[in-house]
Amino acid sequence: MLNYLIILFAVTLIYFASAERLIIYINMLALQGLLLGGIAVFELSEINTGNLLFISAETLLIKSILVPWLLFRITKRSGVEKVHRQAMPGFYQLLFLIAGLLISVTVANSIPNPYINTIFMAVALFTLFTGLLLIVTHKLIISHLTGFLIIENAVFLFSLAVGNEMPMLINIGILLDIFVGVLILGFFGLRLKPRTNELTILKD
Amino acid sequence: MVLLFFSASVFLSLLILLFRNKIATMIFSSIYALILIGFTIYGWTKLNDTELSYFTFSSAGLLLLAILALLSLPTFYHGFIYTSGEEIKKHTIYHVAMILLMTFMAGAYLANGMTILWIFVEATTLAVAALIYHDRTEASLEATWKYVFICSTGIAIAYLGILFMSFIYGRGDAANLSFETLGGIINQADPLYLKIAFIFVLVGFSTKMGLFPMHTVTIDAHSVAPPPVSALISTTLMNVGFLSIFRVYTLFSSSSILGFMNHVLILSGVLSLLVSAGYMLKARHLKRMLAYSSLENMGLIATAIGAGGAGYYGAFLLLFLHSLTKSSLFYQMGQLSRILRTFRLDDCGRYMSLYPAGAMVLLLGMIFILAIPPSGLFISEIMIFRSLVFNGQWIILAMVIILLCFIIYAMSTRFMHIIFSDPRSDTGQLTATSVSPVESISQFILLSIVAGLCFYQPQVLTDLINGSIQLFL
Repeated sequence: MLNYLIILFAVTLIYFASAERLIIYINMLALQGLLLGGIAVFELSEINTGNLLFISAETLLIKSILVPWLLFRITKRSGVEKVHRQAMPGFYQLLFLIAGLLISVTVANSIPNPYINTIFMAVALFTLFTGLLLIVTHKLIISHLTGFLIIENAVFLFSLAVGNEMPMLINIGILLDIFVGVLILGFFGLRLKPRTNELTILKD
Repeated sequence: MVLLFFSASVFLSLLILLFRNKIATMIFSSIYALILIGFTIYGWTKLNDTELSYFTFSSAGLLLLAILALLSLPTFYHGFIYTSGEEIKKHTIYHVAMILLMTFMAGAYLANGMTILWIFVEATTLAVAALIYHDRTEASLEATWKYVFICSTGIAIAYLGILFMSFIYGRGDAANLSFETLGGIINQADPLYLKIAFIFVLVGFSTKMGLFPMHTVTIDAHSVAPPPVSALISTTLMNVGFLSIFRVYTLFSSSSILGFMNHVLILSGVLSLLVSAGYMLKARHLKRMLAYSSLENMGLIATAIGAGGAGYYGAFLLLFLHSLTKSSLFYQMGQLSRILRTFRLDDCGRYMSLYPAGAMVLLLGMIFILAIPPSGLFISEIMIFRSLVFNGQWIILAMVIILLCFIIYAMSTRFMHIIFSDPRSDTGQLTATSVSPVESISQFILLSIVAGLCFYQPQVLTDLINGSIQLFL
């Protein structure tokens, strides 16, 4: 079951390349939150029930409800619905993502660790790659935010891999979630140039 | 005592929020600065002691804490001047954020484990964001956004590095990721994991240290942040980034990847120098130019650590002296902006006739930051060059010297223009504004320390630096 959830998570990442509407980005992030909640429940079988409940509840509340809701508000306010005109064409992004997936699988296989599932490692690396790709290839602030949230999911996936031994690391990852959810999305996301959605004032 | 220090910081911040009075804020902030100085002196008496399990008064941490303590009073002083005419809400937020920033930085310096260090580094981002956004303009919002976004991305990447470090552990190990525990098992780790962890940590914490390729974040922050805040971002906050990277470097140095780390640091350092030289040659904004000068110095420090040998001592000495010199220059920017009302280089000029005391700070600051004797930075840079010569890294040495020549040319011509020439653009007559020369006293004191250290380094300083690098001696 765990492997199915992880692979489904990887599929959502590939879907980002072909998506053109921001609402799909938001839905995908909400779905990723749900999947991560499921992965946490199945993976963290050795930690105490209270901590497991806290981690699962946090994942579902912040990653699949609060953050997508804030993103939805930002898109409503900015009036920007599509990303494709200001980004690399979907076909090239898809090629990059497939290359990224192959590289991630190769790297994960070449650095085996007795305590970490190789699929975990491969998908976490692929998630990191996807997040960075979205930030680099897109111009809209909302796409950068999406890219960052995907990187955050990569961090969470990595921390789940060692979660049974070091639950403290997951809790610190949750701190990062709250930091981003509240500060970046809640405060800045709603204040930054709502019409053009670009940053142009500061330059050399 | 660590708990007492943190409690006092929170208590004083709450008092400032409660009173919402400028005089009270001034008193509470000054008390905080004195507590910070006292805490640093206490740390000296408890060298290498651990408190609350997560904080150790290590030599490196104490050295950087001493810099923070030294700069705390002038930073508050110039902050009071900067915020004197502002409404009470902004005034209060500024000083509370400043106290919290200093406390978080102190926590990061003393942290003895990767996770605690990471938490404090993340916390500094929150406090700095409030300070950069102080002026509430569109430009400050953009700079704050960039700072928070890039720093958060960097912190997330650094966290991935920490997770890779955690993969070193086997099941059932004591997993608090303290430097001491990690140091004991580092030789059993897969070098590939260590390399990946180091790269992630270097890239991630570079957002704080301001190294290439994550340097842009601090440059933009400098253009809009209040000058006393720029002084801290460019010195003590960059030192937080340096210490985070240096902790991991020291930890991994006993493994087989030492050579790899040195190469990566030298590459990052030289590229930082290249970028700073390129941008300083076309600089149009005074504070951005100073920010690129910080990038240059961080690049030199990274190169020095990568070179090893005498470079280790040189790097710490440069870190110390750069903090004093650069903060003086940034404090002076507050006075300069009140007299010239701009940071655009084309609109700046005749500073010597308008404000001689400030012009002298600029002149001395320029000489000192460019490591021209009697600057103490001269000694540190000579040590860095010596280590490069000792290693036979002639090409690196030549590149560093050539890039430094460009930087010296770019900075000195622009500073001389501000001090002695008329403004290039015709923006009307500059009139002398009443700024007391007394405001420059703190800057002269800091610069005189930098000059003094060229000729004599007190035992306490050399002991702290040697204690920080004892693993490499």
